[in-house]
Amino acid sequence: MAATLLDGAAIARQVYSGLRQRIGSLRAGGVRPGLAALLIGDNPASRIYVRNKVHACSEVGVYSEVHPLAADCTEEEVLATVRRLNADSAIHGILVQLPLPAQLRPERVLQAIAPAKDVDGFNWLNLGAMIAGHPLLAPCTPLGVMAMLDHAGVAIEGRSAVVVGRSAIVGKPLAMMLIARGATVSVCHSKTVDLRQYTLMADILVIAVGRPGLVDGSMIKPGAVVIDVGINRMSSGKLAGDVDFASGSLIASKITPVPGGVGPMTVAMLIANTVTAAERSVGGG
Amino acid sequence: MSAKVIDGNAVARHVRSVWKTRVDVLKARGVTPGLAVIIVGDSPASRIYVRNKVKACGEVGLHSETHEFPANAAEPMIITRIEELNRNPKIHGILVQLPLPPQLETRRLLGAISIEKDVDGFHLYNVGGLVVGENNIFPPCTPYGVQCLLEYEKIPIEGQNVVVVGASNIVGKPMALMLMAKDATVSICHIKTRDLAQYTILADILIVAAGCPGLITAPMVKRGAVVIDVGINRLPNGTLAGDVDFAGVKDKASYITPVPGGVGPMTVTMLICNTVAAAERAVGRNAEKTPASA
Repeated sequence: MAATLLDGAAIARQVYSGLRQRIGSLRAGGVRPGLAALLIGDNPASRIYVRNKVHACSEVGVYSEVHPLAADCTEEEVLATVRRLNADSAIHGILVQLPLPAQLRPERVLQAIAPAKDVDGFNWLNLGAMIAGHPLLAPCTPLGVMAMLDHAGVAIEGRSAVVVGRSAIVGKPLAMMLIARGATVSVCHSKTVDLRQYTLMADILVIAVGRPGLVDGSMIKPGAVVIDVGINRMSSGKLAGDVDFASGSLIASKITPVPGGVGPMTVAMLIANTVTAAERSVGGG
Repeated sequence: MSAKVIDGNAVARHVRSVWKTRVDVLKARGVTPGLAVIIVGDSPASRIYVRNKVKACGEVGLHSETHEFPANAAEPMIITRIEELNRNPKIHGILVQLPLPPQLETRRLLGAISIEKDVDGFHLYNVGGLVVGENNIFPPCTPYGVQCLLEYEKIPIEGQNVVVVGASNIVGKPMALMLMAKDATVSICHIKTRDLAQYTILADILIVAAGCPGLITAPMVKRGAVVIDVGINRLPNGTLAGDVDFAGVKDKASYITPVPGGVGPMTVTMLICNTVAAAERAVGRNAEKTPASA
């Protein structure tokens, strides 16, 4: 294997050690950062995600609480919980674990979160501030990707970046962050006619589609940095990304594994956003 | 073969006539869409822009009013006026003519406009809505105008390779997000792009908003491409020119917009569309799904 592995778990540990210092300063001033998670329904994957986030909070000294709501709860119940947490001074960050049961409109629920507590960065005000180039709280997965690139010393300005996947959570915000750093960015997706034509141009290739093996070594420019955001459960029970790792790692200069790549960074950025929100609430940051 | 030159004035007239019927429907229900324009200082260019907007309102039957402030106006005074206009039921759209004098914080003034009346689409909330792709927002007028030109000319967008040159907050970035939502593969190039031609030559639809006359020449354009020139530059000889070498590219493109008379007339038109849409929403009608050129 030619590529260097981008070890998300190791980079996340470094992020946490920086956060511990900031949390220490806050607590010395009598403020403990607090995160509230709404867990609606009983989706097993959502349970695991929330558990991981709660665990990360306790590791670094962030207070956390989980608000479970029944799968058949009404939108008004969810909004009432969000409003109560918006007003709760012990809570600096609020997240609603997605996906939501069908009777709830995600945009309605997400937009109810106070922008200053929107640690997932999905509020339109926060997305708009990010596009305008003065981000307050930005979405965690793209933040995690940027942090990994920076940690690995990857040059971004003037480089060709290709983002495969155009979700509102990953692809589009990440494209905006890469542009802000001076990359030339192409965004590909399911309607792209010739994906390979684009991926072969990429100095930085980020894939966030959710389709195992979508990109193999023959689609990667030699020496490219490859970030695999995909996380897919294979029929064997194993997890795999969107990149065929065996062939991709022969061509790339740096590549993320799945699991252990972007995943740990997403949680680390959630905690970082919570700490940032707490610092702002006391007039810092 | 020479490109079809897209006549922005003709498309703008068509769009305005379509929206005029929507204004008539509103008026029949007792509602006249109203636009308030805030102008600070006496920049001659700003005065011309505001005059054009007011004139366009009149043509389509909108109420408009101009709120003038001296160049040294204090921010709280203007914000107070914006808040009054936010509450005024006769006003459905509010815009602050940019640029503002240096003592005023643009972001704060734009942020004071109610998101339901933000017909320029510059409020961060409306900008952020472009990422999600919801259709109850106000798209910023220039990219909205470009999209409308493409739709009017029945140029397919889905699956097309689109290259946007220029990454401004007002044109390039929102344009890219809007065309992604229409299923185009979009590349965004800008001043830091190392090999611009490598990208432009891929483009089925090339949208140039860089403010750099002559930036795009024929060898950089794919044969048969649609070329939309958003640039408007005053040359030393006093004439206006876009970012595209029109004479050279015209023989290679399938469609091209002239400057002036291309995208320019559409920008004011889309402001009118957004104001009418704001009035429709205010009376509870849900008209977002109708394309502006329909």
